[in-house]
Amino acid sequence: MTKGMRKYFKKKIFWFVITFIAAVILNFILPRLMPGDPVNSIVGKNISPGATQEQVQEQIAYYQHQFGLDKDIFGQFWDFVKNAFNGTFGVSYSQYPRLVSDIIGSSIWWTVALQLPAILVGWLLGNLLGALAAYKRSFYDKALMPVTLFFSAIPAFGAAVILLVVFAVNLKWAPVNGAFDPGMIPSFSWKFISSVIAHYQLPFWSIVLISIGGQAVGMRSMSIYELNADYVKYARFLGIKDKKIVRYVFRNAMLPQVTGLAMSIGAMVGGALVAETIFSYPGLGMSMYAAINSSDYPVISACTLIITVMVLIASFLLDIIYAFIDPRVKAAQFD
Amino acid sequence: MANKILEVHELTTKYITRQGEDVYSVDHVSLDIEEGKSLGIAGESGCGKSTLALSLMGYYFAPLHYTSGEIIIDGKNISGMDPDVVRKTVLGTEVAYIPQAAMNAMNPTRKVGKFIEDVIFAHELKMTKEEIREMAEQRFAKLGLPVDALDKYSVELSGGMRQRVVIAVSTILSPKVLIADEPSSALDVTSQKMVIKMMKDMLNTGLVKSMIFITHELPLLYNVTDDIMVMYAGQIVERGTAHEMVFDPIHPYSRGLMRSILVPEEGTRDVKLTAIPGTPPNLKHPPAGCRFADRCRYATPSCKVVSPPLLDIGGGRTYRCSMPVEQLREVYASED
Repeated sequence: MTKGMRKYFKKKIFWFVITFIAAVILNFILPRLMPGDPVNSIVGKNISPGATQEQVQEQIAYYQHQFGLDKDIFGQFWDFVKNAFNGTFGVSYSQYPRLVSDIIGSSIWWTVALQLPAILVGWLLGNLLGALAAYKRSFYDKALMPVTLFFSAIPAFGAAVILLVVFAVNLKWAPVNGAFDPGMIPSFSWKFISSVIAHYQLPFWSIVLISIGGQAVGMRSMSIYELNADYVKYARFLGIKDKKIVRYVFRNAMLPQVTGLAMSIGAMVGGALVAETIFSYPGLGMSMYAAINSSDYPVISACTLIITVMVLIASFLLDIIYAFIDPRVKAAQFD
Repeated sequence: MANKILEVHELTTKYITRQGEDVYSVDHVSLDIEEGKSLGIAGESGCGKSTLALSLMGYYFAPLHYTSGEIIIDGKNISGMDPDVVRKTVLGTEVAYIPQAAMNAMNPTRKVGKFIEDVIFAHELKMTKEEIREMAEQRFAKLGLPVDALDKYSVELSGGMRQRVVIAVSTILSPKVLIADEPSSALDVTSQKMVIKMMKDMLNTGLVKSMIFITHELPLLYNVTDDIMVMYAGQIVERGTAHEMVFDPIHPYSRGLMRSILVPEEGTRDVKLTAIPGTPPNLKHPPAGCRFADRCRYATPSCKVVSPPLLDIGGGRTYRCSMPVEQLREVYASED
């Protein structure tokens, strides 16, 4: 660690703390600005048809007290911060008295297991195709690029719905929804695992498909730019083999792509929402979607906080990694 | 007679445009350089001097293509050789190149020392990394460059240093011919001087056996090279010693080049600056007659029809104009 590096990281950390605090406050306020009262909808669902006005009022007061909604906004914020720090994130409104941490704990792994491989595969395939298109030009460029452009232009929900209709509804190659067959109890049996794999395919490929396009387009233009760089010509005239030069080129063209990868990993949970809702995949995106529908403030805040923290961590790590893989950035940042 | 390191006979190369048209940017160029000598090539932008530099290495890739002619380096004819053999046995070892944009010539994510390793390994020389390192350190020290530059990325070096490092890397295998394409044009005067001194030292100490120095500033060559050749529209229009070319240019274009730039030398610094009117011809459709005729103030109607050959007037002096030398000199004298 040089002095310049320490100073740079100190500054970075300072700004991350500021961003984090601002994000925590927004995560608390924004769900509460949504129309709809969470207690009313719960009481409406639970109360027997013959209840008197008093009983209803009593119920509302009971839940408001349980959720801490009878406190003023600062008291509620203090509860939110306390619960965030003790790791429970409080009690869910819609699934009372379940803890928010329990809801998230049971769904986040489905999201990670779905998204992380899909993002990585989409990124790798996209970069490979982009690099091929740039290097081979003729065939790959003319045939593959329009196709990838087409897929990258389809909105995420569109791609998911098309896959769902074609492969699940019409061809019946894959199940329509869920992460495993209904009625199954998660276990390490072959039957359960094969069911999970079958349910995994459509959401997985819908994410891969849309991320390939964007990555391929970016990688292609970066590679073309790098292939025409002065150092390519110079290296050629020094007798360096084309194979080696291509490695220089693609390594350098990958650099901006690393940013894209880190950002999509950071925004994984938010990106999961579309694919998970369409395929009713029991991940964090689904939990968040359900929470938004029932104004379940603690669950919404916890989910958005997770997104915020992941994006912050991803961009922080990216800054560190970047300094090591690109000497130009290092020279600019640490001096 | 001294040993000729580089002989080029009637070399012609062309660009093939995207529309499939041929553009002959190097048109029947012949030249030679003796051991220990240097040749400057001057001309304005687009005259084919950079293309000539690329063509001289015998290694062609699209859009540049070899058409005809011979390149003989130290008795070995490299034209028509298999490109991979050229890459392995000629580039870097027989001919080396210093690019026009030397500032960005090196891979920004590779350390200088690693890049030198890549160059050596590409020639399948049996050397270990330690031997390469030792050789590179010795070479850098000999050229007055800091050895720790080997552990740096090119972006961490200053402009002048980067340029000198590129020269050191280009000549790491002690090539017989060094081709420098405007190596100093992007530098401040101090760095420019250091770069030129470094290149002259390399020639004088025999690190490189001959040198071609390409620039658009004809007068700059006076202090750098032994001979000067002027190119126009892909052809040689004049060649002579540096002194002859600066003080007694024969071809109207050479004279125009000399008079369009301020030169601090005695005897030339008092001339009035004049620009050469017009622009070079489009080489997709070169003019039928003299290629300079449209811009030449002395052109006669026949100049536009008859293409003048390159005339040898003895003493290594050649020029391409239909007017006799005496007549041109008389006209010039009457103007001054």
